[in-house]
Amino acid sequence: MKRRHFFSGAATAVAAASVGRAALAALPEIPQHGSADTAVPPSPPTGRPFRPVVTLNGWSLPWRMNAGVKEFHLVAEPVVREFAPGFVVNLWGYNGQSPGPTIEVVEGDRVRIFVTNRLPEHTSVHWHGQRLPNGMDGVSGLNQPAIPAGKTFVYEFTARRPGTFMYHPHADEMTQMAMGLMGLWITHPRLDAHGRHPLIAPADRDYAFLLNAFAVEAGTRTPRVNEMTDFNIWAWNSRVFPGIDPLVARRGERVRVRVGNLTMTNHPIHIHGHEFEVTGTDGGAVPPGARWPEVTTDIAVGQMRQIEFVADEPGDWAVHCHKSHHTMGAMGHDVPTMIGVDHRGLVAKIQKIVPDYMVMGERGMADMGAMEMPLPENTLPMMTGTGPYGPLEMGGMFSVLKVREHLAAGDWRDSGDYVQPPGTQAWEWRGAAADLPPAPVAPTAPAASTASRAGAATVRKPGPGGTGHAH
Amino acid sequence: MNAPRSATLCALTACLLLAGCASVSPDGLRGQVQALADGRTAGVAAPALPSSDPTARQQADAAVAQWLAQPLQADAAVRIALWRNPGLQARLAALGVADAQRVQALTLPNPTLTLGRFRSGHEREIERTLGLGLIDLVTLPWRTRWQGQQMEQATLDAAQDVVRLAFDTRRAWLRAVAAEQVAATQERMHEAADAGAELARRMARVGNWSRLQQAREQALWTDSAAQLARARLAAATEREQLSRLMGLWGADAHYTLPDRLPDLPVEPEASEGIEARALRERLDVRAARLELDRVANTEGFAGVAPWAGDIGLAYTRNTTTEQDTGHADVKRGWEVELAVPLFDWGGAARSQARGRTLQSAAQLQDVALRARAEARTAWLGYRTAYDLARQQRDAVVPLRRFISEETTLRYNGMLASVWQMLAEARASSQAVADALQAQRDFWLAEADLQRALAGTSGNSSSGIASAALPGAAAGRAANPEPQGH
Repeated sequence: MKRRHFFSGAATAVAAASVGRAALAALPEIPQHGSADTAVPPSPPTGRPFRPVVTLNGWSLPWRMNAGVKEFHLVAEPVVREFAPGFVVNLWGYNGQSPGPTIEVVEGDRVRIFVTNRLPEHTSVHWHGQRLPNGMDGVSGLNQPAIPAGKTFVYEFTARRPGTFMYHPHADEMTQMAMGLMGLWITHPRLDAHGRHPLIAPADRDYAFLLNAFAVEAGTRTPRVNEMTDFNIWAWNSRVFPGIDPLVARRGERVRVRVGNLTMTNHPIHIHGHEFEVTGTDGGAVPPGARWPEVTTDIAVGQMRQIEFVADEPGDWAVHCHKSHHTMGAMGHDVPTMIGVDHRGLVAKIQKIVPDYMVMGERGMADMGAMEMPLPENTLPMMTGTGPYGPLEMGGMFSVLKVREHLAAGDWRDSGDYVQPPGTQAWEWRGAAADLPPAPVAPTAPAASTASRAGAATVRKPGPGGTGHAH
Repeated sequence: MNAPRSATLCALTACLLLAGCASVSPDGLRGQVQALADGRTAGVAAPALPSSDPTARQQADAAVAQWLAQPLQADAAVRIALWRNPGLQARLAALGVADAQRVQALTLPNPTLTLGRFRSGHEREIERTLGLGLIDLVTLPWRTRWQGQQMEQATLDAAQDVVRLAFDTRRAWLRAVAAEQVAATQERMHEAADAGAELARRMARVGNWSRLQQAREQALWTDSAAQLARARLAAATEREQLSRLMGLWGADAHYTLPDRLPDLPVEPEASEGIEARALRERLDVRAARLELDRVANTEGFAGVAPWAGDIGLAYTRNTTTEQDTGHADVKRGWEVELAVPLFDWGGAARSQARGRTLQSAAQLQDVALRARAEARTAWLGYRTAYDLARQQRDAVVPLRRFISEETTLRYNGMLASVWQMLAEARASSQAVADALQAQRDFWLAEADLQRALAGTSGNSSSGIASAALPGAAAGRAANPEPQGH
């Protein structure tokens, strides 16, 4: 996957200037990440060992050890995030990206986090789900004064409970989360002498992402922060299909997927081809006796789910939110249904006044997946993506679980398209109609509609090149 | 005997010569009218006026036929109007009549010959008197001058009518061309509404839309149908007006109009020196000045004429013959008849003339004042119309077009409906129609300015002050009010 890199130089000069050089010298350096690519973290260079998670289209925050304390440095600042090639949004993030880098520690670690505020307004950080002293919980006004623009605050506590957590502001929270200010926190378990934990199994592949949603109107590049319900950009880690990296696994590997929901609605996350169990939430590990098999788990607002399964079915398996509108790009929710509406004789008439007009939706919306129509700037088609067998007609919260027979343990790259063994794919029936089993009509079926469906208008497809999109 | 005789002869000869000076203009003063109107006929150089010469008439008719065979340009329309407009023909004929009347007025009254034959007992008297009213002869030079001035004024008035007709025709042409273009634009808009309404009907037919939703599109269609009907009526009316001014009817009135108005000039005219130019070149100012000269000239004479009355001069030769002796006694002599100013010393007439002079002076001032004000307001109207037309062309139309194109992109992405796209396309067409009208208004204002600076006063307004018709209502709001919570 060829990706463009966006470097955020958007940090406000005022904020930067208000922290003295001498003061900054004592702080850990500020790691920055310049692209929306998935950065697989290295094994921990210092501190207790753990197997890092892979944050989809994200990265993990390096730290420095200071007298046995893990010191991290988060910088809240304006960023430009690439949601998919050809679609960038002005957001607020941490250390150059939204969401911020994943913070990974081990149960029992003493953690010190410096938070520098380069936003135009005050902020704070709430460590969602953690056990910590009340004054470290990050609710501005309640637990601490907010961090003013340009200032650096320090949070310090011991990571007492292993599991999957998030961090996000708790000052002007609605605005700052609508602008993409959030990140993941993973506390890896302390293992016994045998390298085991009673409730947390080691995973060969450990993936993590946050669900986030934005209201970015077509042709704009800044979210409408005041939207409450009618979002149009449904993202994983501020990334949308076809920009979301796949989840790869070798056949037989144990895969863990950690998902947190910071949108304003629930998301039933569905994995094809496998059953999984919810092995934990942001409240901790689920006792084995309380787990049950699922292929979909609903993640309510502000919840996290940690699911695990053995990837034992080779293939390219869809992973997506099961709300069909959440696997769409920006679309018009007020556009009327055109299905079954005869357009004959009207096309030329409309083209007289709108030369670029062409019929869409008369037979359904699948035309959108195939046609390359010029769209407003900085706008993805509402359904897009092409696989080996044609358009996927997807967008938003959609990715692919790629299970392969042969894959090196450290190989996280996209495995390409799955080649199905002969005879294992649905095929077109070319035999005689008489040989088909009968298809009885339900006794209560209404008479066939008399609406004429003859002669769908021919669709004029403009050649590619007018869109300005990188494909 | 000789001397008086020769004197008489001389006087008569002089009278005849003087009387012969006043002759009727062969072309009914059309040449002079043309010379005065030249350069003031709405930008048309040396237009021909109706002529009595058959050859010229044939040539002009051939030219008219040629102009009418192609899309009719503004200059050609003005030329045809000056050639064919019946009102102007009547006006010019009246000028010819006035000229003949002038010549009539300057013709001296014929001298009177009085013959008498009387008998008294033994005498027979034969009286021969040749009498002549002298006042007309004495005042002939003055009267010739005034009559000339009067004719000059009549010519100026006629020239102003020519100028008015020229500008009225140009304005009518501008209106007719613009109205036709606006109607074409409305036609496109109606086609869009038509497509929208038909699609809405089909939507309702298959159950995708309620009858309410369909009715909304239907209502838009009825609006645009009404607008189209009005636009077509306007186009026909303006065209009729143009044909009428050009004096065309029947087959001649089936000419075509060009499909665009002239482009706006790159730079508008500056306002420097417009008032001076108006005072220098306007025909009505010139006419008022001439009137003042004429009235002032008659003032001195007016005081004398009433009490001087008519001066009669008569030469009498009486022959008295005694019947008995046959002796003839001839009596010759001159006789002068003068009025005795006993009652009328001419004071009233003098006051009258003085009053007239004052009146004319005030009228000249009034005309000059009006010319200045008209020049200023015409320029202001011109400049504003230019700015409005420029803004409509360079800002409003591109903006509307951009909005329409962007809405089409949103339609492509299924972010907007075909009806929203059509509504924006209609609004874009409406902006084009408004731009056409603004362009027309600019050229109307330009014609008014030219007429105000070099021609005469006109009593028609360019219509800038009247705002263009509001555009067709767009469909459902493209940006619904955000909902609070």
